[in-house]
Amino acid sequence: MFWTFVLRAVQFRKRRLTLAFAALAVSATLATALFSVYSDIERKMRVQFRGFGANIVIAPSGGEETVPLTAVALAERQGAVAAPFIYSVGRVESEPVVVAGTDFRRAGPLTNYWRVDGSRAAGPGECLVGANVAAHFRLKLGQKLELEGVPCTIRGVVSSGGAEDAQVIVPFDIAAHLAGFPEGGKAAASLVQVRADGERLASVQAALAKQLPGADVRLLHAVAETEANVVLKIRSTLFLLTALILAITTLCVSTNFSALVLERSKEIGILKAIGAAEKKIAALFLSESLILGVGSAAAGYGVGLFVAWWIGRQIFPESAAAGIGVDYGVFLPVTGVTLAMATAATLAAAARIWRIKPAVTLRGE
Amino acid sequence: MFLRFVSQSIRRSPRRKAMTVAAVAMGTAVATAMLGVMLDIGDRVNREMRSLGANLMVTPKAQSLPVEIGGISYRPVSSQDYIPEDQVQKIKSTFWQLNITGFEPVLKAVASLSGRNVPVEGVWFRRGLRGADGSALEAGLRTVNGKWKVDGYWIDDRDRNDDKLDAMVGGAVARRLGVKPGDTLQLFGQQFTVSGVISTGGEEEDRIFIRLEVLQRLVNRRNQVDAVQVGALTKPEDDFARKDPAKMTPKEYDRWYCTPYISSIAHQIEEVLPMAAARPIWRVADNEGKVLDKIRGLMMLITLAALASAGLTVWSVMATTVLERRGEIAIMQATGAGNGLVAALFSTEVALEGAIGGLIGSWVGLLLAAWVGRAVFQTALETPAMLGPVVVGAAVLAAVAGAAQPLRRALLLEPAVALRGGE
Repeated sequence: MFWTFVLRAVQFRKRRLTLAFAALAVSATLATALFSVYSDIERKMRVQFRGFGANIVIAPSGGEETVPLTAVALAERQGAVAAPFIYSVGRVESEPVVVAGTDFRRAGPLTNYWRVDGSRAAGPGECLVGANVAAHFRLKLGQKLELEGVPCTIRGVVSSGGAEDAQVIVPFDIAAHLAGFPEGGKAAASLVQVRADGERLASVQAALAKQLPGADVRLLHAVAETEANVVLKIRSTLFLLTALILAITTLCVSTNFSALVLERSKEIGILKAIGAAEKKIAALFLSESLILGVGSAAAGYGVGLFVAWWIGRQIFPESAAAGIGVDYGVFLPVTGVTLAMATAATLAAAARIWRIKPAVTLRGE
Repeated sequence: MFLRFVSQSIRRSPRRKAMTVAAVAMGTAVATAMLGVMLDIGDRVNREMRSLGANLMVTPKAQSLPVEIGGISYRPVSSQDYIPEDQVQKIKSTFWQLNITGFEPVLKAVASLSGRNVPVEGVWFRRGLRGADGSALEAGLRTVNGKWKVDGYWIDDRDRNDDKLDAMVGGAVARRLGVKPGDTLQLFGQQFTVSGVISTGGEEEDRIFIRLEVLQRLVNRRNQVDAVQVGALTKPEDDFARKDPAKMTPKEYDRWYCTPYISSIAHQIEEVLPMAAARPIWRVADNEGKVLDKIRGLMMLITLAALASAGLTVWSVMATTVLERRGEIAIMQATGAGNGLVAALFSTEVALEGAIGGLIGSWVGLLLAAWVGRAVFQTALETPAMLGPVVVGAAVLAAVAGAAQPLRRALLLEPAVALRGGE
């Protein structure tokens, strides 16, 4: 009997309830979407900052001129990306030029910002040249360059706006040989660049500093702090906006639900006139609201996840490929908030049930 | 009569009207707050990103290739190219001068310190200048790298003084030599006082910074600098920015010239300093642009979602109010009011509610946006003056649009049926 009543009430006032349902579902959608985006934003922003390259540099300290090559392996054991670099002065057409050597495979993620015409890596007998070097010696892609009397084929022209523009870049071993650096067990580099995840930066630096007492393990403050700062600001902006929007939509939806009860004074009057207890009537309205609440939370959650996924795919296509981008964990908070909203609003309005006098209401006043 | 009807309707049920207006106001507040934050956040983050340091490097148009490792030049000092120091200030007279947040002339030299070569840079730390129009402006290392950590004091070089021998020492150099702020240092046969130790983690740690005019005197290169580092607020590169300016049509060229792309700012610096080449430092410039693009895009989509939901909210509230008043509409029709008149009456009322709600909402929204700005970026956000009126207009439109469909249905319904309470 009770449920027939509830279902009939829903059926009878389809249009009115659809609107209430829509309003609640929209706010649940917004809540899901914003929560999902918010919970994932830090990770995604940090990925963006990888483009800045290294955030730790291992340089020689004290009287040393080199860094032991074991530093690379140590950094990789910490879960960081690391690459060794060697710098020396070589001769091209009897003019001095800076020759840089690196492990191209390892250096790839650290040199994303290089703008390269051609290939980003060079093998044995090959080299990359900086844009200024190319212009100075009138070199083109594919040509051969005599470096210290040994020819190498130019595989790429690098322009970075930095030191690379005036360098010839060759594979690490070749540069080590040119520079006369020790090889084998005592192999060394001029410096080692390391990229650690923003969150673990301090601990990676501390661990490396402990394991490499002879070297200077430095945090690149400009990169690390800008990253931390920007990520924090975006996170807090999103958090405040999410909270604001939730508060406002909650208010809005609760007025809507109060109205659902208030506009039915006549019905309440009749129910009371034929002897229904106030508690029973309140329960009736509450179950109606809860049905609406559950339905709209489910609908809003579905749509919200889709919106969050879509936003993620539009803005961060590279992370969407990994299949992540929505946070299923937001279901409980969203449903909870939606149901609490519906219940609170209905209960607040239901207080009127006790005050309604059937005779007065039914007379139409 | 018409106006009386509208005002009567509002007076008769103030509570219901207040609820409607409140709902519209809340929707509008969400929209305004989101828009306000979205429109300014790019600029804010752009300024935060300037802590990365220079994104443009200006060097003399070199005849020879620089041969430099770790700041030490290995090229014989025969033909020195340079930029005249008295020309450097012209950087601030380019079209995008307001976007140039700082610049720093640098003269490089190498000093021998306890048997080791150490690069020494002569720089402006913070120099007060007079712009071409007489306005005061600041330049120097601290305008480009404002967030460097210093143990001790920054050198105060607001006034030229080539007799004062003080130095800022990079952290790695200081550790190696064991010097602290207040100690002295032998450079170029002169006694320098260490004013502060700089720690950045970068190659600056291996350098010593002294006053530009002092280094110019000591190495006898008066009025010469080797490079100028420039920090500029730029618009992220898009496909248009990657076009070759030489191949643009005059109209495209104007558009490119008048957009603060890093490439157009570099071009304008080369115009005022013909002896120099300005190149973007891609590590900073490129990534800065990418991060900014992401943030702008993200905020835009979130704002879109919020706008859509705010619009829907206003729409549904208005539809509800019309639905509730079907009886009233039927009575009006039964007493001989034409459909046009009834529609006009209701639209006026709805538009009025939309406008009032919109006004309150946009005011609250602007306050909220300003609050978010202060809470996160410590300064109130700058919102365009047009935002308020536009949002109010949108609120009125959404309100009228929401009321239109149920109103049409109500008007088409036979008064007798509606009064009996049927669908």
